[in-house]
Amino acid sequence: MNLLNKLKPSSREASLGIILLIAIGVTGLINPRFLTGDGTRDLLTSTSVVALLAIGITPVVVMRHIDLSIASTVGLTAWLIADMCAKNPDFTWVQCFIVGPLVGVLVGILNGLLVAGLRLPSLVVTLGTLYIVRGLVYVISNSVDYNAQEMPPSLIEDLGQKVFFGLLPFTFFLVIIFMVVIAYFMKYAKSGRDAYAIGSNPPAADLVGLKVFRRTFLAFVFSGAMAGLAAVFYLMRFAQVDSTAFYGQELAVVAACVIGGVSIFGGTGTAVGAVIGALLVQTIQGGLAALGVDAFWKSAINGLLLIIAIYADRLLAVRSEKRLLQQRIRERI
Amino acid sequence: MVKKGDLLLEMNKVQKRFGGAVALRGTDLKIRAGEIHALLGENGAGKSTMLKILAGVHVNDGGTIKLGGKDFITGSPKASIEQGIAVIYQEPSLFLDLSLAENVFIGRQPKKGKIIDWKYAQSEASRLFKELGVELDPKRQARGLSIADQQVVEIAKALSMNANIILMDEPTAALSASEVERLMTVMKSLKAANKAVIFVSHRLDEVFAISDYITVMRDGATVSEADVKDTNLQKVIKDMVGRELTEMFPKTENKIGSVVLEVNDLTNPAFFRNISFNVKKGEIVALAGLVGAGRSEVARAIFGVDRYESGSVKVNGQILPAGSPVEAMARKIALVPEDRRQQGLFMIAGVNRNISMESFAKLTDRGLLNLKRERELTNTWREKLSIKFNNQADPVDRLSGGNQQKTVLAKWLATEPDLLIVDEPTRGIDVATKAEVHRLVNQAASEGKAVLMISSELPEVLGMADRIIVMREGRQVAEFSRKEATQEKIIAAATTGKKSA
Repeated sequence: MNLLNKLKPSSREASLGIILLIAIGVTGLINPRFLTGDGTRDLLTSTSVVALLAIGITPVVVMRHIDLSIASTVGLTAWLIADMCAKNPDFTWVQCFIVGPLVGVLVGILNGLLVAGLRLPSLVVTLGTLYIVRGLVYVISNSVDYNAQEMPPSLIEDLGQKVFFGLLPFTFFLVIIFMVVIAYFMKYAKSGRDAYAIGSNPPAADLVGLKVFRRTFLAFVFSGAMAGLAAVFYLMRFAQVDSTAFYGQELAVVAACVIGGVSIFGGTGTAVGAVIGALLVQTIQGGLAALGVDAFWKSAINGLLLIIAIYADRLLAVRSEKRLLQQRIRERI
Repeated sequence: MVKKGDLLLEMNKVQKRFGGAVALRGTDLKIRAGEIHALLGENGAGKSTMLKILAGVHVNDGGTIKLGGKDFITGSPKASIEQGIAVIYQEPSLFLDLSLAENVFIGRQPKKGKIIDWKYAQSEASRLFKELGVELDPKRQARGLSIADQQVVEIAKALSMNANIILMDEPTAALSASEVERLMTVMKSLKAANKAVIFVSHRLDEVFAISDYITVMRDGATVSEADVKDTNLQKVIKDMVGRELTEMFPKTENKIGSVVLEVNDLTNPAFFRNISFNVKKGEIVALAGLVGAGRSEVARAIFGVDRYESGSVKVNGQILPAGSPVEAMARKIALVPEDRRQQGLFMIAGVNRNISMESFAKLTDRGLLNLKRERELTNTWREKLSIKFNNQADPVDRLSGGNQQKTVLAKWLATEPDLLIVDEPTRGIDVATKAEVHRLVNQAASEGKAVLMISSELPEVLGMADRIIVMREGRQVAEFSRKEATQEKIIAAATTGKKSA
């Protein structure tokens, strides 16, 4: 198919895909249930939120920036949606899907103005908004929690339980759509290519007259919008929310990106890689659970995975550098 | 359509201030189509500021700039590009993660509907590379490209933008002799296409070889403009420096003493093989050859920055263990690296801290730095090397290239080495400072130090060295004494590997 051919994975994504398949296979050997329709559905459902967020920050990270405020944004948005639905019992999933991204966009605009407009470092800015937004949740929520009863059944039961072909949950279906659109956009649209250029060499991007402000600003707005949508996914999965919802999960998203080959040094990586990265983390977690590994080890093993991923990248970089050097020596002769 | 000789650019009394500092006091420049125009001047004369104004990075405070008879619109790189000005910086500013075709068309990608037309971009880039006589694969990543090839990509980019005026800031500073030749061919083809090429260079032999017109700047103002036929090297140097430069290579006859460095059969298959030579007290030995011949790698291996596979290094008769710069320094070796910004200095640290860095042990009381002694050390070297700075704690970042190079030299001379290795000691610094660096290196030798010098500038090699070892593709191909050596012999050995007459 033409479209599939155009999205031909780079070797980095292809090898990650193979590693993912191996991880799924091994986990399946330990726990055969993992390979059933139920198991696949569980894996995809539990990956949806992180995968969507990973897609969301991909353009930001490609531009050599970072957005740490996303998890707080998920928390704020999820609570606001639940609050809105509790006060308006006639609201359905439609309002949720509109309000979620809107709230996220507001945070994105704030980040974008500070980073792109004032040229402040995104690490510090979004660390700041991480605390600000979480602080807002604490203040606004006033310790009020919401459960499934207060949320629209059309969101929690109808859409939340909807599964295509017995294994593809609705939320992950949306993840795939966003992944394809963003990957295609970043490969073939001018603004997408500009993103890679900006991340690859920021001063040069200014010198060739790229619209650095606009691209950077919009990347943060997009990241915010995806965080808002991820908040809806969060409600669909957990059907409850309090002021600590999704607390501290921003680094899990960054980890998924890095494992998926979206370099925090900018210039490389795709939305496809980010999603594979998220799936890989989740699969390995599933495998460890099946092996009966203590849940306390979970984060330690996540960290190990991250370091292995960055080491693999380093090895690849060194090898390709050597190859290029040899090539140059040959060309000279 | 522009015709040869049309006045493309006219700058009149252009001024620029940065805070209190005056960068341009009143610069005039006239550029015509179909000419190669050299812009000369010492570091700090204002050449870069001028280029940056034309590039749209800075805005001039006063004076007029006319472009093809119309007022030049300043203030944004994009505006400059649209007015037909392309700038190729000293460090090419490519996007290393992107393909060459993409680099050529960045910001102006050809589109089919909403989607970028990669096929067209690639074939177009390929056509441009061919036109420039350099066949590069437009699909390959820019990462790993040599500086010379990166410049070709930048020039292709300029052509694809239909630029009329192409500015090059020291394009040959990091190129080998054969690459310089290739670049000159490219420049001539640009000239034939009625483009104007403005280039900045410190290598005056190249300037006279290729340019049609020479403008010299000093202290932010234009001091002379002349057709290359109506001027000469001495006059240009006098205009640049503001006085006659007595001697470029103040060579002294030193007493040659015992062997300090002895390198035996040194091999690291990736970079060099079977390198054997020695350097004696009071002697300057030059490693000549093309960029990439493996000379810097030999120096790095001797100093212990890189490891080697076989062979040995002896200092004052004793084997020096491989792979330990600390040990090398303890045996009184100093290495002044080729890239002072990346490898030689701590750019944001003060001049004093940079100079005292390697002499720390001598300046401490019970492990703590004695600031008074650091100050004295800095002052001593400031006077000896006439380094110019306002305040000892000024970050070296703020010094000119020449003063930075002197600071690195001071740092290593302060360690009182027996063996001084200098790698491209005068790259990117102006004529007057060059002569001074030559004097300092000579002085080190006359004080009885052994000096190993790597240089790609033949006049420097011929003017300074007692013995010259030529390397080609990692092998030692020839050795000449000071008497035997000529430019032709060294080039022949460096390019063909044969020692011929």
